[in-house]
Amino acid sequence: MHATTIRSQRALAPVRRGFVRRNLPYLLIAPSVIMLLALIAYPLLFALRSSFYFWNLQVGPEPMAFVGLDNYVQALNAFDFRAALTNTLILSVLGTAIEFGLGLTIALVLLKALPGMNVVRALLILPTTIAPIVVGFLFRYLYDPGGGLLTWVLQSLWLPVPAEGILGSPTTALAAILFVDIWQWTPFFAIVLYASLLSVPDEIIEAARLDRASAWTILMRIKLPLIRRTATIIVMLRFMQIFNTFDTVLVLTRGGPGTSTRTLGYSLYEQGLVNFNVGLVSAQTWITVLIVNIIVALYVFFAFRNEEW
Amino acid sequence: MARAKTFYTALTYAAGLLFLAIFIGPILWFLALAIRPAETAFAMPPQLTFEPTFDAFRHILVDPGTNAPQLVNSLIVAIGAVLLNLPFSVPAAYALSRFKMRGKKNIMLWYLGLLMAPPIAFLIPYFVLITRVGLQGSYLSMVLVLQTLTIPFSVWLMKSFIDEVPAELEEAARVDGARWYTIMWRITLPIVRPGIIVTSMFAFVFAWNNAAFPLVLSSRSTATLPIGTLGYFATSGVTWNYIAAAAVLAMIPPMIIFLVFDRYVVRGLTFGSVKG
Repeated sequence: MHATTIRSQRALAPVRRGFVRRNLPYLLIAPSVIMLLALIAYPLLFALRSSFYFWNLQVGPEPMAFVGLDNYVQALNAFDFRAALTNTLILSVLGTAIEFGLGLTIALVLLKALPGMNVVRALLILPTTIAPIVVGFLFRYLYDPGGGLLTWVLQSLWLPVPAEGILGSPTTALAAILFVDIWQWTPFFAIVLYASLLSVPDEIIEAARLDRASAWTILMRIKLPLIRRTATIIVMLRFMQIFNTFDTVLVLTRGGPGTSTRTLGYSLYEQGLVNFNVGLVSAQTWITVLIVNIIVALYVFFAFRNEEW
Repeated sequence: MARAKTFYTALTYAAGLLFLAIFIGPILWFLALAIRPAETAFAMPPQLTFEPTFDAFRHILVDPGTNAPQLVNSLIVAIGAVLLNLPFSVPAAYALSRFKMRGKKNIMLWYLGLLMAPPIAFLIPYFVLITRVGLQGSYLSMVLVLQTLTIPFSVWLMKSFIDEVPAELEEAARVDGARWYTIMWRITLPIVRPGIIVTSMFAFVFAWNNAAFPLVLSSRSTATLPIGTLGYFATSGVTWNYIAAAAVLAMIPPMIIFLVFDRYVVRGLTFGSVKG
């Protein structure tokens, strides 16, 4: 009885619901894909078209003249755009590397699993939960030249603090922004690396220890390779997040002094929402999108080519 | 030997305290700013003790209550973004978890790639578009645009929860002749409900903390909390106590969610790609 029911259904199914049945998974992801495409395709196409026009919202509401590739030439030759690209790369590369190193160190300390350290681990994540723009406010207060806590600490240690303040001097401003990012995101690396190191089986470590492998060798040759996938993912996420940063810069320095802390994200913000130079910012948008895509594509290709999903 | 062990234990605890001082200290110092008398904010040397006052909170929430509507706006936008995201992300996560699909890996990476796109690159086009269709300053504009973050995030995180529901349960129902939607709706989704709640909570934090979109799309009356706080810098004479009080309000919900869902924090932060 039971078996016949199933058989009859199977025989009927392809005829009645063939299309739905065959394409079911694609139909289920379709709403999200369509929604996202609509939200992304429009801005990209809009920017592509605008990038070939002279168009400044301060001058007029509509594109003024077709200028070909002029906006791209102007964007690439602009001194501040190159400064922005350099700063962005410095922040992304140094930030990711330092955060990974410090995070790994903290993770190894947390792994000692002493009583009470669980509280430290739980609280440690708090900086990462704060909105970047709020972290910006927090550090503007700490960096304040007229009584900020960090300024005071540095002065108490007899370290030189620029008269214009840490954020006001071109020599220290970029480092100050880097420090803010490190403060906020080192806990992220610490917690994620801690969790994944915890999942490395004890037997493997024991076996290596019996073979008299040093703690350093065990870390570099056994533990890190075993958590490679996790490390790959978080490094990529963080690199791209720093690469796209603009709100912290907006609150802390507005890209200054001069161009010393200008990032690609902030540059786009300023050209678009302060100067309303839609044509130029559209060209910069496309240049940025291309750079981001190249970085992500290279990374994905090399990091995930052997991964199965 | 025993002495060396004690030494290392002490060293580990010292390191733990150092981490707390570095990473939690600044937050407490900012909290103190919100409840200290204004004239002590920049005292040199810094004042550790003071008479706590809630004047700043009274100012921003009650009289004149500058930031109270912004608190409500933040809630509307973040909750709206999470609710709108569910009908899109739940079916997608289910499909990606349960069915064999050609190009599954590329689809997953496409979602992930969206999370890494520079939001600022889309802001100017959105600004122009939203102005043209007359949605400028509306909640809807922010909720819609936030979907570029909440949908990909939720698909990834929810897929990781659905992956954990044993396929045998569905198999049993299928043998009994249940249709796919009955299986999804009556069997898998109820089991995975805690995962959907966790996902929604982290998606809420994502939307709550986003400042880029409201910066461009909100108006004076729909500004969210971080944007409202930014407004204090525009007025002459920066009022740090008010900034700190408003910022503390903005910090509290994400912190509570992260502490309550401590067990899932690693997953949430890595979109489920790391189980933790």
